[in-house]
Amino acid sequence: MRCEYRDRFSELEPLLARVEKPSRYIDHEWGTASKPEAAYRACLIYPDVYEVGLPNQGIAILYAALNRAEGIACERSYVPWVDMADEMRAAGVPLLSLEGAAPVASFDVVGFHIPHEMAATNYLEALDLAGIPLLAADRGEDDPLVIGGGPSVYNPEPLAPLFDAFLIGEGEESLVEVCREHERLRDAGATRAEILAGLARVPGTYVPALYEVSHEGACTRHGYTVPRAGANVPEVVYKRVVRDFGATDPVSQSIVPFTELVHDRLSIEVLRGCARGCRFCQAGITYRPVRERTPDQIVAAVSRGLAHTGYDEVSLTSLSTTDHSCCSQILSRLNRGLEGTGVSVSIPSQRLDAFGVDMALEVAGEKKGGLTFAPEAGSQRLRDIINKNVTEDDLERACRAAFEAGWRRVKLYFMMGLPGERDEDIVAIAELAERVLSIAREVVPKGQRGGIQVSVSVSVFIPKAHTPFQWCAQLDDAEVKRRQRLLIDSVHDRAIRVHCHDAETSLIEAVLSRGGRDLAPLILGAWRHGARFDAWSDQFSLARWEEAAAELGLDLRAIAEEEFPLDARLPWEHVSPGVSRGFLLREWRRALAGKTTDDCTRSSCTGCGICPTLGAENVLVGDRS
Amino acid sequence: MTEQLLFRLRVRYVKQGRLRYLGHLEVLHTIERVVRRAGLPYAVTQGFSPHMRAGFSAALPVGTASSCEWFDVFLTELVPVTEALERLRAAAPADLAPQEAGYVDVRADALTAFITCAEYRVALFPRRDAAGEAAALDAPRLEAALAAVVARGQIPYQRGKKQKVLDLTRTLDAYTVRALADGAFALDLSTRMDNEGALRPEILLAALDAELHGAPDDPIVSTGIQNLSLFDHYDVTRTAQYAMSDDGAPVYPLHP
Repeated sequence: MRCEYRDRFSELEPLLARVEKPSRYIDHEWGTASKPEAAYRACLIYPDVYEVGLPNQGIAILYAALNRAEGIACERSYVPWVDMADEMRAAGVPLLSLEGAAPVASFDVVGFHIPHEMAATNYLEALDLAGIPLLAADRGEDDPLVIGGGPSVYNPEPLAPLFDAFLIGEGEESLVEVCREHERLRDAGATRAEILAGLARVPGTYVPALYEVSHEGACTRHGYTVPRAGANVPEVVYKRVVRDFGATDPVSQSIVPFTELVHDRLSIEVLRGCARGCRFCQAGITYRPVRERTPDQIVAAVSRGLAHTGYDEVSLTSLSTTDHSCCSQILSRLNRGLEGTGVSVSIPSQRLDAFGVDMALEVAGEKKGGLTFAPEAGSQRLRDIINKNVTEDDLERACRAAFEAGWRRVKLYFMMGLPGERDEDIVAIAELAERVLSIAREVVPKGQRGGIQVSVSVSVFIPKAHTPFQWCAQLDDAEVKRRQRLLIDSVHDRAIRVHCHDAETSLIEAVLSRGGRDLAPLILGAWRHGARFDAWSDQFSLARWEEAAAELGLDLRAIAEEEFPLDARLPWEHVSPGVSRGFLLREWRRALAGKTTDDCTRSSCTGCGICPTLGAENVLVGDRS
Repeated sequence: MTEQLLFRLRVRYVKQGRLRYLGHLEVLHTIERVVRRAGLPYAVTQGFSPHMRAGFSAALPVGTASSCEWFDVFLTELVPVTEALERLRAAAPADLAPQEAGYVDVRADALTAFITCAEYRVALFPRRDAAGEAAALDAPRLEAALAAVVARGQIPYQRGKKQKVLDLTRTLDAYTVRALADGAFALDLSTRMDNEGALRPEILLAALDAELHGAPDDPIVSTGIQNLSLFDHYDVTRTAQYAMSDDGAPVYPLHP
């Protein structure tokens, strides 16, 4: 018997007195959907706490899409923070949905958002709290279908045994199709195996149980994934893409939280995709093609969204908002419309040129906090390798414009461990920061120089699937630490603050980014050793992962630091964002030669193969500058 | 610049049901969003970081319900009271719904300065043992224990790393205890608040609990919602907030 769908809030309520932030668990926010009579129920789970998950736009889009569908109800759940999880286990209260306060195990389908690799143990934590078998193979006829989707499904293999299906690519159309097909098969009395086979026929759906790992021919230690003999499934599952993005509802959020969030604001997705072609960037490949909304649609969406939610801030989101061909027009129209309301507009990051600063100035008003730029690498040589098409002149001009316009704090983002990186490139980061500081001291009037702050934030490069750097090795963590030391020692001015990302977290992220299905037991082992909320630096412990690896005879560093031969079949090539292998290889060779590649929204097609493979194309509503 | 003509709308709202678990800042932000959703012509502060001109009555602890929370919002246009209330109610979650409203003098004292008296009703549910038997408690025993706590005048307690004192002689005006159905008890408290502080009913409950189980000297640690030894759980509701005139008569916030 399927666990019963009923309100069990009364069991949770006594625990609220004993946990921090009880408002994480109470539901009843403005704008939640309730469909008590639905014939089919989905529960979408963000694999982190409420305040991290609630602002997620992907979940908001899917929540709206499913609840719009006749007869389908969609509710939400999040992973209870460690204090609440422990209380729930002690009290025997299972993981509940928010809207109906019903057991997650009572839903027809449980859909996890897959935001990044470090959420791996939290799927297990949530499934365990829900009382759902951790492995797809152990689930019975009465257990919900457990599916996953989101930005980080492009190497699903380490998670494959946990999930019944992955939805590859954009979910607003495919998730509804999957739920409809599941409902149809369920009502026809299909078995779990028949349902899985049926779902594998919905385009973009990868059902791991119908595939197996082969080690035949040129491949890595993790092997590669092929259809099982007799399984009627595609050899390569291509991502789904929404061709007419402009036809989708730009106001995706409906729920207004009580809890204060980091990003507590209305978000309007103004464009999707980025074609700048940074070679380390997975999103740059997986969100192509580029599709823009019109200024009219955006301006109307902002006023409708604000009226519905009551927010006092709106963020124009995308991978690169200042690349929108009508960015300037949109911002000035919004500023005119919102004058005197106390409502502010924000854009997530700035393009590294004077235009980027102009746009930042449009939204800043009187209040100028910090401005963030991402040169990504310290030297021009290395920026050419990664195809970050900005020069030191661009950065200088942008910073000069920013300081002249009144900003005092500038934050610079870099990566460490990029292919071809040498010590001189690390020292160049420090020199660049010092150059920015000297511009600041030159431009800012004497009395105000105390407020000048240049900070440098350095993450560790992780080679990601389906990028031109997918064959690269991860730099070993001891060497990362040495280079971090070198950077800190190369910064001579105390007005420059340096923040380095944790090398140990990056090691696990690299292992999970590059590994295959053989790593699922590692994730299980780490969770059994107590790993959860690994994305939180105060919760992460490398020791748990190392213990689990030792038990399995795995060498974490060897996995992360292995360079893959260019002719090897890789563990993730059976799912695809549509990019051609030839393009990735060509980009890798151009990287080695220090040759840059253009942005196809500003020049001609660069031949990544995504548009023809997916039958989609770039949609621009104006000319890009 | 000429002074803008403003109107000060004062609104009473409830905090109840699950939403009593909201913290004070969460309530503030939610009410501001309610005002924006209601489309009322709210005034905005001048300067660096413009925000809505609004004010609120004193913080209600997490877990405490209320039938009498108040907020003021300054409007740039006069909206008829019934219309303003209707729009606010339509834009508010039911468990934070506005109940009544009226305009007050724009120069009137802020709510936190004006309100000096608060009344609370506490429902106490005695813990039962495995056989379902409640501890031997009755209203006279509760009353005697409470009298002993009150007689000491002060309750020292720890909140976070700070050692604090709840001064009952200044903050507790009156109390009554009576038995409810099913072995529960009702405790009514009349309290006063000023710049020096207010009575947090939960601290008094913790002291009462310690007194009842014969350990009046046990240190009290404030944990927000308290775990009590003799009571399985309790509900606290703020039932009235008002000012006191010079001759000792209550002054309702809508008629300051």
